[in-house]
Parts: sequence; structure tokens; C-alpha cells
Amino acid sequence: MIKIKGRSIKELPAVAGKALVTTDLVAFWAGTDWETGEIVEVGHQARGQNMSGKILVCPAGKGGAGDTFGYYYLYRSGKAPRAIICNRAQGTTLAGALLTNTPMLYGFGEDVTQLINTGDQVEVNPKTGEVIINRKDD
Amino acid sequence: MYLTPDQERMLSGEEGQGCQKAMEILKAKGEAEGASRMVKITYAHLMPPDTMFFPFGRQGKWARDMIGELTDGVTRLKVPTTMEPKFLDLALARDLEFPDNAVKEMENIMLPAAAFYESLGVIPSYTALPFTIFPTKIGQHVSIAESIAILWYNSIFGSRCERDDGVSSLAAAITGVYPEIGVHLAENRLGEVIIRPGKDVDPVSFTYADWDLYSLASSRKCKEKTPVFIGLPTDMSFTQLKHLLAVIAVESGLAIMHIVGLTPEAPTLEAALGSKKPVAEFEIGQREIDEAYRIANTATDRSVDYVLLGCPHVTPAEMKLIAETLDDAKVSPNVRLVVSTTGLFRQMAEDMGYADIIESAGGHMTQDMCIAFAGTQVSGTIATDSIKAAFFYSGFSSKTTRRVRFGTIQDCVRAAVTGKWEASR
Repeated sequence: MIKIKGRSIKELPAVAGKALVTTDLVAFWAGTDWETGEIVEVGHQARGQNMSGKILVCPAGKGGAGDTFGYYYLYRSGKAPRAIICNRAQGTTLAGALLTNTPMLYGFGEDVTQLINTGDQVEVNPKTGEVIINRKDD
Repeated sequence: MYLTPDQERMLSGEEGQGCQKAMEILKAKGEAEGASRMVKITYAHLMPPDTMFFPFGRQGKWARDMIGELTDGVTRLKVPTTMEPKFLDLALARDLEFPDNAVKEMENIMLPAAAFYESLGVIPSYTALPFTIFPTKIGQHVSIAESIAILWYNSIFGSRCERDDGVSSLAAAITGVYPEIGVHLAENRLGEVIIRPGKDVDPVSFTYADWDLYSLASSRKCKEKTPVFIGLPTDMSFTQLKHLLAVIAVESGLAIMHIVGLTPEAPTLEAALGSKKPVAEFEIGQREIDEAYRIANTATDRSVDYVLLGCPHVTPAEMKLIAETLDDAKVSPNVRLVVSTTGLFRQMAEDMGYADIIESAGGHMTQDMCIAFAGTQVSGTIATDSIKAAFFYSGFSSKTTRRVRFGTIQDCVRAAVTGKWEASR
């Protein structure tokens, strides 16, 4: 078990789930299918993986300024991730998370994409900024 | 975070629920990034979901819900404001394979939404190139939701704009303020990495399409680090800059970039870096350009069904190239050619005779619409001169069978005439 502490964009109830980790920036508009939650961007490191119901771990969001709507549509279709853990709270993703009350934690002082592995069981506390990582093979 | 009495009043709901929500969002954004106060903005550019982001079907309803909540009680905006293109010119709906029921839904969602924004006083710019309509000055704070425009206002004008999204820019237009975060602060505007051309490429001879490739290759290197471009021609034209900025804007998370000798905050490399050491240096050579070309081209056979030009909107210089390449030729009966631009540029194209050449050849001229989104319902292969559009054409769904051919604007126009992609690379 590893415990790390970052910052949270909003105080929300704690959530837990399995991690989907990517070392690439994530686009929610066009880069992700809002009907399924699958990453579909050509050339993306996590192409074909599904973020729905997962704890999405990435360096940051990217994409056009419409990325917030991509995230909003993903949320309205019921396919959003349970929480986002990232190195940097990029503006478009931050607004999407704020609007949909998705927990989003950032600024851990180390690279979360190297610290967490896909499949790890992750507990996220958006009140304290704490994240507990339970290795899948522990 | 300090709010003025005026801003506190907005937060308390005295100016209506939409204004209250707007101030809540801006305050949360500011607090997340450690802002101490708000700054006044001089201009905003909107990206409304109900005019642009697939305003039909269930997501059209979601878009309307969202805007209804965010604009509740709002009757005017506090600063001059422009807005993004509409999703589709409904006259082209059949050509771009939209079913009749989607057109009906767009009539009921997109058209009233556009009228609503105009009633708030929004300038009907309908383009991703608002810098052709409302340029601002160095140091001015603005809020913009359009990735190429964010990069342009920061990098080319020296104005200050965060990486805003459609919700934040609407909130800023409603309140007239923005949290003092990110590149609104001078210390966050400095370059971090250097990007230079490799010895085996020559930017002076680049086509517009080469600038797209250079831009994509650069974005794959710098990712989130503010790049300083060196070794580029300092006399780059408006259209060349459009191509260089458009791709890196959508492929990266960047708000600002510098071109030494060309952009106002980069008179020298030292100035652009703030006399600090760069974090990294990258060279973009033929190998990187070829890799970018492979990513942009997802088609395997040579037939072309659609030639869609104008992402971002076609400039007069590009209109001239399209008309000259067409000359007297006709568009193949198996191909749809659509050329999309702004209302002002279209008027110029008509005055200069280019519009007539394109239309007489059987091409469609249109204005005020987003061809990158409008082209996402077609089947078959799309030819484009825009990697930004290619990103959208090959994205959105895991089930997509659409394929993309990317090349120069001349390659695309020739494909419109013959129905075949003949460019060799």
C-alpha cells in the first residue's frame, strides 16, 4: 500500500476503483468515445482501453477548447471515469470535472503515471487530497 | 482568494443564477491554481455547445440543458464577445450524409441557440479565427475558447489568455473577469523547450501542409512544455502561421508558444526563455515529419469520396490556390468538394472571382460552419489539408470506418477532380 497526497479541485465524497493509467495526455472530445468511454485517438498509448467507472490516471488533459463538452457528454452518457488523478490540472479537464462533480486530484510532487499501475485498486479522497494505492498483485 | 464587492455580489446571486454559477466556476478555478484575485478581461470568445457540439440527438439536449443552467437570468455580456462557427450549414446536410431527423433537431436547437447568443450582443463572427475580427493588444487579459485562437492571442498578440474551455469563457464573458492564473502571470509565459529544424528539412520551402506536419511533430516532442521555435523564417505569413498554430494547439495542452524573431515576447532566444536554461532541445527532421505524415494518413486505398477544406477557415491566400489548381476542371461526380470560410473572407473570395471558379466547378462554398465537426458523419475517405481536421475525422468513435488522406491543398483539389489520391510521398 502506498499513500500519496496532492491537491483536490473540490471537496467531494471519497471514491475508489481500479486504475487506468496512461502516460499520454488524454483528449475527451474526439479522443474518447463519449458513448462507450473508450480511448479512440489514433497513436494514443492507451488506445482501445476504457475509462468508464475507472480511476483515470494521466499526466493531464489535452485537446481543443471543446474538451469540456466531451467530458460533459461522457458524464451524461454514464461512461465517465470515477475520478481523475493527474500531474497537472489542465484547464479544459478541470472545468469538465467541476461541472460534473468528478473528483480530480493533482500536484502530487511526483509523476502519478509512474507511481500507479493499470489495475491497481485506488482510493481517492477529494476532501484531504489523499490517494491510497493498493497494488493489484499485493 | 480576494473578490471585490462587485464580484461578491455576483457570487451571492444578486445578478441572477447564471451569473452566480459563472462566478462560482471562476472562483473554483482560481482557488485550484492558487490565484489571489480576479483580473478584468477586455474580450471573450465563446464556444457554445448548443450551436457547435453536435447539436442534435441526446447530446444536443444535454448541451441545451447545460447552457440553460449557465445563462439563467443572463441578458447581456460584460465585454465584447465573438463566437465559434456553427456546427453545420443546413443547406449542406444531405451532401454530408445527415439524416432528415437530425436536420429537424438542429433547426430546433442550433438555430434558436445562435439567435440567443446574438440577442446577448455576441458579434456573429462564427469562426475559429476571431483574431481576424477582434484583435487585442499586448498585455491585455482575454478569455477564449478555441485552441488556435488561445495560442494566437497569447503568442502573436502578446495578450493573456489561459487554456479556456467553452464553460470558462462563457463564465468570463458573463462576469467580465477571470482568475489571475497560468499565463495571465508573466512568469508562466516563458519558453521551456527549444524546437529547431533538422539539417535535412528547409522551412523556407515548406508548403502549408508541411507546416501542419512540422506542428504535429513538434507537439509530440514538447507535449506540455512551452516551446520556443528557432530557425524558422521570421517573415512567416498569416496563412503559414495559421497552419503552424492550429495543429500544435489541438494536439498539445499549450496556451502559448514563441517564435524567435517573430512573436512579441521572443525578440531573442534568451528573452523567450527568461534567461533560464531550456528543459530540453528537440530537432524536427525528415524522420519526424514522415512519422507525422503516417499518423495523419489513415487511408490505405486511393479512392477519395470527400474533399473538405477550411479547418480552420480557408484564407484568401488558400482560396486563390484552390481556384488556380481547379482552373477550368470540374469536380468528379463521385466526390463532394466543400470549401468553408468566414463571412468576410467569402465576400472577398466573391469579389476576387475565386468563389465563382469553385462553384462553377461543382464545389460547394460555405461560411460560418465548422467543417471539422460537420464532416464527422460521412462514410468513406476524406481528403483534407488540415491535421487538426484529420484528428476529428478519425476520432470520436471506436466504430468509425472513415479514413483520411492528408496532403497539400493542391493534392486535395486534384483528388476532387479525379476522385483519386495521386500525391506521392
